[in-house]
Amino acid sequence: MRVLIRNVVLCVCLATLLAGCATRSLFQPYPSQAQSWKSALGPSGGASAIKRLQDGAESRDGVLYLQELGRVEQLAGDDRASRDAFAGAFVHYQQNDEAARLRASSLVSNTGALLINDNARPYVAPDYERIYAHAYQALNYWADGDVTGTAVELRAAANEQRVAANRRDGEIADANSGANDLDLSRYQGYFEGLDAAAGRVKASFQNAWTFYLSALFWEAHGEYNDALVDYKKALEIQPDLDFIKEDVQRVSRSLDGARPLRGQGLVAVLFEQGFVPERQPLSLPIPTPHGIFVVSFPTYGLQGKPAPYPLTVRAGALESKTRVLADVGGLAAKNLREQVPGLLLRQTLRATAKYNLQKKANDDFGPVGALFTQLFNVVSEQADLRGWLSLPAYGQATRLLLPPGQQTLILSTPGGSATLTVPVVEGGLTVIHVAAPPGRLLTRVLPVQEGAL
Amino acid sequence: MVRVLSMVVLGLAVLVSGCASRVNYGDAQARETVTTDFGSTDLQMIAAKMVDDMMVFPPIVAITQSRRPVMFVDQVKNKTSEHIDTESVTDTIQSKLINSGKFRFVDMTVVNKVRQQLEYQQDSGMVDQSTATQMGRQIGAEFMLYGNLSSIVKRDDSTKDVYYKFTLKMLNIQTGIIEWSGEKEIRKTRKRTLFGL
Repeated sequence: MRVLIRNVVLCVCLATLLAGCATRSLFQPYPSQAQSWKSALGPSGGASAIKRLQDGAESRDGVLYLQELGRVEQLAGDDRASRDAFAGAFVHYQQNDEAARLRASSLVSNTGALLINDNARPYVAPDYERIYAHAYQALNYWADGDVTGTAVELRAAANEQRVAANRRDGEIADANSGANDLDLSRYQGYFEGLDAAAGRVKASFQNAWTFYLSALFWEAHGEYNDALVDYKKALEIQPDLDFIKEDVQRVSRSLDGARPLRGQGLVAVLFEQGFVPERQPLSLPIPTPHGIFVVSFPTYGLQGKPAPYPLTVRAGALESKTRVLADVGGLAAKNLREQVPGLLLRQTLRATAKYNLQKKANDDFGPVGALFTQLFNVVSEQADLRGWLSLPAYGQATRLLLPPGQQTLILSTPGGSATLTVPVVEGGLTVIHVAAPPGRLLTRVLPVQEGAL
Repeated sequence: MVRVLSMVVLGLAVLVSGCASRVNYGDAQARETVTTDFGSTDLQMIAAKMVDDMMVFPPIVAITQSRRPVMFVDQVKNKTSEHIDTESVTDTIQSKLINSGKFRFVDMTVVNKVRQQLEYQQDSGMVDQSTATQMGRQIGAEFMLYGNLSSIVKRDDSTKDVYYKFTLKMLNIQTGIIEWSGEKEIRKTRKRTLFGL
């Protein structure tokens, strides 16, 4: 009788876990789900993909689907829907930041993760995704002409960057203790406080593309101090980019009261190339007290990563190529690397738990039970491949200084080209946001920024 | 058996506590500490501090002794990392100042509506001209209120600390002199608890 009750209770618990933690990636790998909205990215939108994302937003991985939804809606041209989606994701961020460290509810999902796989744990957005979400939200407000809202989101993105840096204070300090090999002596004083060694470390968790975006915005609104700080942070992460050095010098002169943009306007092209690489499952033998147990482990393959290619901007005789500011695949890989100790620990525990389950099934129910548990173990062994997959592989940028008036620009990439006529305002900023999913080129011109905030 | 019983009791407890959601009216002035975000208590503290400061400042007391100067409210710039409706803060301050009986205000946000109404009264032919409001009789503002709301946010894995600084200035439009300036600082800290649901 007691054995029967125990088994019934066990079955009910298992069923509840499976149903309750309806994180949808439990048995269907997340990257294959993501194909549906990645292929629909663009002005056509893909109503069915959006519906899937909206359904996903209700699940326990809600934050992940909301981020994807925000990006998909933004590239579909629906800034309001994108804004709502990102705002929903920010609520998740806040709940996660403020939740108790040890939660009864996470105990349940961890137990689920112990029996099934890591996908049973609710998704927690890593730093680099939070930075991107705030930057995209800023672009939503920007496209809507809400300058104050844009400024608020850019500050929020800067806060996330700072939190990301503070978490890794130790690494930055280690890099600082090494040699300072950045030779910027010929730029007398403009580049004080820059450190290439620390910059290389910061490049693995901070995002120079976002820093550059906010620097441009602050400069256009005459907030030269903020602009200088953000240009310098972008330069620290990408010390080889000469156009940022020029930006630093120009804003330094503006701070001194000069007007270096007299008779000119800034035209910046923000180019987002491809899709961030997907995590790949890797079979890893884990030793347990009862022998070797093969588990599935997430990793990033070397082949999955596309090579960066530039976008060429031509305006009359002027020509400029975009340069890589953020390697999103690198940010994602760094994030995974930091999770490895925890992943390994859970995998070892899970291997032991699954072995015990199988042994018990064999003892209590004979070969049929053993077969079923074996089947369950194999099917349920899915690596945690979740991650924001509609992000680009590379965040690139360049900028031109053009005379005021309507200017015709020709953008060309290996995947396509476009001709745009954009307004240029003296001392103002015109941003062209270009996303290039494989084989396509999506462009939009954001409202000109000028004048005091 | 005991274990099964205790599980049933636990399940019931969760169910019972889950049903306990209902709507209540609360005190609008009560301290609100749900999150570290800008909230009603911050707004009320800022408005109260600004008005109290202004009312006891000797030069302002002197100015308002025998007359009620006219002011207008420019914007308070939101320089924080939150989407805050700063107009709501200045509205509260404006209401308190008007109710003090010391100041009068002109409202720049409704200028277009007022102009439309004046034009209707003057030009539409629908209004009895003996009762129509005359153009060009509005009183010019003598002072302007404007300011900033800025914040510094620090966060790590266990703590979030938010510091707000609200600055309000009163400028004499004719002379360009800042006659008064007030500041309110607010610090809020949230620590994550160790245990929770």
